[in-house]
Amino acid sequence: MNKKSRPWFYSFPALAVISLIILFPILYTGYLSFTNMNIYHWFNPGIIGFENYRKALFVFDSGFLPALLRTILWTVLNMAIQVAVSFLISVLLNSEGLVLKNFYKTLLMFPWAMPAYVSILLWRLGIFNSQFGLLNHWLSLLKIEPVNWLNGNLSAFLCCMVVNLWMAFPFMILTMDGAIQSIDKSYYESAVLEGAGTFTKMTKITYPMIRPIIMPAVILTTFVTFKQFDTVYLMTQQVGSKTGADIHTVITYAYEKAFITSNYGYSAAISILIFIIIIALTVISKKYIREGGAQ
Amino acid sequence: MIQNPRKRRIRLAFTNLFFIFLCIAGLIPILYALSVSFNSSNSVFATGFSLIPSDFTLDHYKNVIFSQPFLLWLKNTMLLAFFTVIISLAVAVPAAYAFSRFRFRGRKTTIYLLLLLNAFPSILSMLALYRLLHSMGLINTYTGLIIVYTGGMTIFSLWNMKGYFDTISIDIEHAAQIDGANDFQIICRIVLPLAKPTIIVTAVLVLINVWNDYIFAINFLSAAGKYTLAAGLYTLQATEQTRNWPLFSAASLLASLPILIIFFIIQKQMKSGLTSGGVKE
Repeated sequence: MNKKSRPWFYSFPALAVISLIILFPILYTGYLSFTNMNIYHWFNPGIIGFENYRKALFVFDSGFLPALLRTILWTVLNMAIQVAVSFLISVLLNSEGLVLKNFYKTLLMFPWAMPAYVSILLWRLGIFNSQFGLLNHWLSLLKIEPVNWLNGNLSAFLCCMVVNLWMAFPFMILTMDGAIQSIDKSYYESAVLEGAGTFTKMTKITYPMIRPIIMPAVILTTFVTFKQFDTVYLMTQQVGSKTGADIHTVITYAYEKAFITSNYGYSAAISILIFIIIIALTVISKKYIREGGAQ
Repeated sequence: MIQNPRKRRIRLAFTNLFFIFLCIAGLIPILYALSVSFNSSNSVFATGFSLIPSDFTLDHYKNVIFSQPFLLWLKNTMLLAFFTVIISLAVAVPAAYAFSRFRFRGRKTTIYLLLLLNAFPSILSMLALYRLLHSMGLINTYTGLIIVYTGGMTIFSLWNMKGYFDTISIDIEHAAQIDGANDFQIICRIVLPLAKPTIIVTAVLVLINVWNDYIFAINFLSAAGKYTLAAGLYTLQATEQTRNWPLFSAASLLASLPILIIFFIIQKQMKSGLTSGGVKE
């Protein structure tokens, strides 16, 4: 075999399976997005041009734009809290003389190690359940009426955020802890000699030093958060046990339009829109890392 | 550094207290499930939350193992995970090697294209994949699911291992080439042993991905006898949640145990074996 075709030969199986499982569904979804395929037109979908896109983007009541705004809010809030709290915890973890550091760190990793669906269901059934959840049990000890945590939009949204943060903290803490350890100790020593306090050290040394190191992980987690499906779906949107809260993110929204209301063409258009948004964000973040982020 | 030792000790005590509180608070959902799973059913509601079960029993675990299809689901999951890992590696290792070691036309474009393709959330492919598998007669078969899982993880595996291969010096391979070794020998004898950390981490992440997936499993498998643990547990909580919360706790903790063990075993290797940042989805 000549040298030119060898790399293609080696990567052929990988590229073939990617074409089949990743590329084909994208192309097929692209095609569907221009059709009126739904439960009535399952076998004979007709081409309807950009109608699905028009409905998604220009009819506010259709629900896509609210879901998109909610997803952005969800991503921003999650990331802001995640980064800020993980930073404080990681700094504390690296306090001088903290002998049990590794023990604490191991315990803090558990939420990451647990299968996500198990964690979410344990939260839903164990903590938030209206009849025998822990939260309502505690409320009953205080003689307060039980609350349906997952029914209202706002409280369901907050509950989902708590669960999502709980699952996400360990990875962020681990990343920041590693970054903090890579900082040369002499910076702190000279800062102390100059009379810098804990706060100054944190904001003037730790933060700027770890920023470029943690940036890739932060951006990666931002995408994971934006694409998060399991938390919102398992907490509030499960088939057959919806809680009544409407806190769709774009992904759960697209899923529902396809598999619950069987609006396949419309769901496909939503999927393509999500795809375009994520690609745009990817390109922007790549540029950001290359130019400013890494400083 | 001059610091008041007493002040320092007090501060350290508070830090320790903070972490003890944080760890307990963070583990509450798991501890609560653990406590419920060891507590006999009727006392769960009466006693409420205690970390130590008031009426200790192993009944729920016995129940899960012997009267639920738990062992069958476990076997199914292990079977699926095993074949997916093997096939994923067989597919991704040569490709990662090609993209790391060869410079060929279309290489950069392909890498960039893969990055773009990776932006499409896999859950949105479900309908297309369903139709695809349906047309091939692979609905309700493990072959279908293995192809879907493998395809879903290939871009990640390829990227992750390529990144690691890039860091391995090419000199040894050149020397081996001069000695007459072919690519296959080079991969098996030199690259794979040197790249062990990344192979292990990639394999484990593929395994975890299969172990933790419920949504593809419930949509592509229609016979409950074929279910994986995740799919089985999902149906268990969806159909019988209120009555069987202790049973569900026991089952879900049992299902998580292998993943917990693997996770903590490879945690050390995670740092060196992951090149494109940690990924958990």
